Amino acid sequence: MENKHITIFHGPQHPGITGNMSVELDLIGETIQKATTHVGYLHRGFEKLIERRTVIQAFTIVCRICVPEPDPNEANFAMAVEELAGLEVTPRAQYIRVMVLELSRLAAQFLWMAGQSGSIGLYAVGQWAIADRDLILDLFEELTGARVYHMYIYPGGVRRDLPEGFLERVSTLLVYMKKRLKDYDDIFINNASFKNRAIGVGVISKEEAIANGYVGQVLRGCGIKADVRKDAPYLVYDELEFEVPTQTAGDVYARALVRRDEMDQSIHILEQVVAQMPDGEVMIKMPTHRKFKLAKDDTWVKVESARGEFAYYMAGDGSEKIRRMQVRGPSLVHAYTLLEDLLVGAELSDVALIMNSLGICPPEIER
Amino acid sequence: MENGFLLEQKTLEGDLNSDTSHKSSVDFLMNWFRKRSIFVLAYGTGCGAIEMPPTFTSRYDAERLGIRGAATPRQADVIIVSGYCSYKTLRRIIRTYEQMSNPKYILALGSCTVNGGMYWDSYNTIKKLEDYLPVDMYVNGCMPRPESILEGFIALQKEIGEGKASSWQKYEENYEFYRKNQEAVLGEKVEPSYAADWYLYDGGL
Amino acid sequence: MGMMMFQKIKSHFATDDVEVKRNDLYKVGIRRDRLVELIHMLRDEYGFKTLNAITCTDWIEEGHFALTYMFTTLDRKHTFMIQTMVNRENTQIKTFSHEFKQAQIMERDLHEMYGINFIGNENLKELSLENWVHTPPLRREFDTLEFVNNNLTFREGRDDNVDTKAESKRLRVLKKAKKDADKKEAAKKAKEEAEAQKSKEEEVKDGE
Repeated sequence: MENKHITIFHGPQHPGITGNMSVELDLIGETIQKATTHVGYLHRGFEKLIERRTVIQAFTIVCRICVPEPDPNEANFAMAVEELAGLEVTPRAQYIRVMVLELSRLAAQFLWMAGQSGSIGLYAVGQWAIADRDLILDLFEELTGARVYHMYIYPGGVRRDLPEGFLERVSTLLVYMKKRLKDYDDIFINNASFKNRAIGVGVISKEEAIANGYVGQVLRGCGIKADVRKDAPYLVYDELEFEVPTQTAGDVYARALVRRDEMDQSIHILEQVVAQMPDGEVMIKMPTHRKFKLAKDDTWVKVESARGEFAYYMAGDGSEKIRRMQVRGPSLVHAYTLLEDLLVGAELSDVALIMNSLGICPPEIER
Repeated sequence: MENGFLLEQKTLEGDLNSDTSHKSSVDFLMNWFRKRSIFVLAYGTGCGAIEMPPTFTSRYDAERLGIRGAATPRQADVIIVSGYCSYKTLRRIIRTYEQMSNPKYILALGSCTVNGGMYWDSYNTIKKLEDYLPVDMYVNGCMPRPESILEGFIALQKEIGEGKASSWQKYEENYEFYRKNQEAVLGEKVEPSYAADWYLYDGGL
Repeated sequence: MGMMMFQKIKSHFATDDVEVKRNDLYKVGIRRDRLVELIHMLRDEYGFKTLNAITCTDWIEEGHFALTYMFTTLDRKHTFMIQTMVNRENTQIKTFSHEFKQAQIMERDLHEMYGINFIGNENLKELSLENWVHTPPLRREFDTLEFVNNNLTFREGRDDNVDTKAESKRLRVLKKAKKDADKKEAAKKAKEEAEAQKSKEEEVKDGE
């Protein structure tokens, strides 16, 4: 008896999908023959909205472009405006920005762990990971006033100085995290059922990865040491010491190991930042913080987010408003070119596993 | 006499302290059971979906109130519309809502469902969710904290216990109004058409 | 890298529009008929092999789109922005999706948002919008607030805080007028009471 040929929608309302997007699958039995990605459920027209707003009005909505990890957006926006307006940030503000970005990276990796373990049924790891991520969000709430959308990194510096005793609380949290991550190794990374599911699934070859413009963990899982913080350093990353972990297998398990090593490196960077924090002002002196004069020029800035290289193109036209801002998130190419390639020949139950390991975040695809 | 902003605040707040008498003891018992076991559909429709995992896991623990997740619309009681709705998502939310079986409730999370929120001038999102689907409880904020979401659930439970949360009946009775608004935004073909047949021609479910 | 590459570009393509923005970012402006040649030269001779993004900016007052291609080297240390101007109406340009696979999705996005036709791209269907029949939204002539006001309705009751300065001034004037009226009222009442008191005293006096 032959298997039937059916088409299903692994659709927007599904517990095994990362965010609000859908994948249309052509199946024979349980093996996928063809996959088509559908996005657009979260399109708000950011690039049009930002053209109507001045810099301080646009700054409030920029962080909502990427929902799980908003801080790289703010950092990119601030760096692009500073380049077009010709401002330079004080050292203390740069160190604080690095601290915020690394804490946000840790929180996003915890969220990834919850999603990846949920896709294979280890729900206990999800409960632990979301609870540990909440401790980082408590720190953010003390520093910026909000748990998720911080609106803290502003062109010219950061909005306010650190509260008293904040650095001690960060150090205490880092000590706790280092101890706690060993528990995650036992329950998740070295778990035999995760290894059985993940090894050999979703393999990407090295030549394809370089040519097609993939970024982030996809490249590092194939053996290429790609990291914007080392290749084109921004802020004060050239003064800090850290490594870029890589693996060679190129499958889901290799990317998970890369992410786990990156969490260790983030803790290492945060310890250095806490020890080396300079004194000084956090915001440069400007006649008014509400108006910026942008030159008639364009620029391309990028940071390394938890999922890969996040880049902004910004063009000004000599006035106070931004003429054009384009967001190039890591998920645009991963969700279309890579996912439709990887899913051919995979099983239906591996779709959630592969999507989680690529780190696809729909809001930044269609903005 | 309040008008404008103060009036709309009053109409939006669930009254946590009201007390009404019930029709019969069977009604009281059914409502008591319904409010103690609320299954929430696993559908993160917008920004607000990022504060739903903290609410439903061990730190803020909504399961002690009887709230847990459900995978499919047929098994769910509540659909949380977490944030803004683009036209594409609205079509899918309507389709999912009509697949759920009665009694069903809608909890609208975030300021974007109230009056457009941050994206009030966006060409692809709807501004007032009440025109398209009947809403039982609003939770304001951008994002609302997990404690606010729990407070919204407790207010919803109180309304269910008193028999006041009956938006599914409102949807059936005023189906032409909702359908007209949906078609104005989504075009003539708002799927699935079988729901329209149930509401309009078959005399209700 | 560096000076030799810029010299070659300047001489070979007869353009002076070459700029070094940061130590890892370069930009060149080129005419559209020599675009493919420049991209091939940079890819084959200088190693800019990865296409990172394709962007478009609408300069409506100058009457053209500025289309920019970002290319990165294999060691990801240098990025080149290649910018060319194309016309705004009925834009036709050849696709790059056969040489760079990721160009297909980027061009599909630009087609939907600006209406640029990429000749040879196999999939230019809708990406983020559904059943959209109006102007492509990112063009400057599309006014998003006007679109919202024509097609969607807001909640009633927000018209009292439309213009806060005028509204607070109006409330201040009202309050002042009320205060004056109250004062007048109080003065009138006091006068009446005084007169009533006076007439009472006179009565008593008459009565005596």
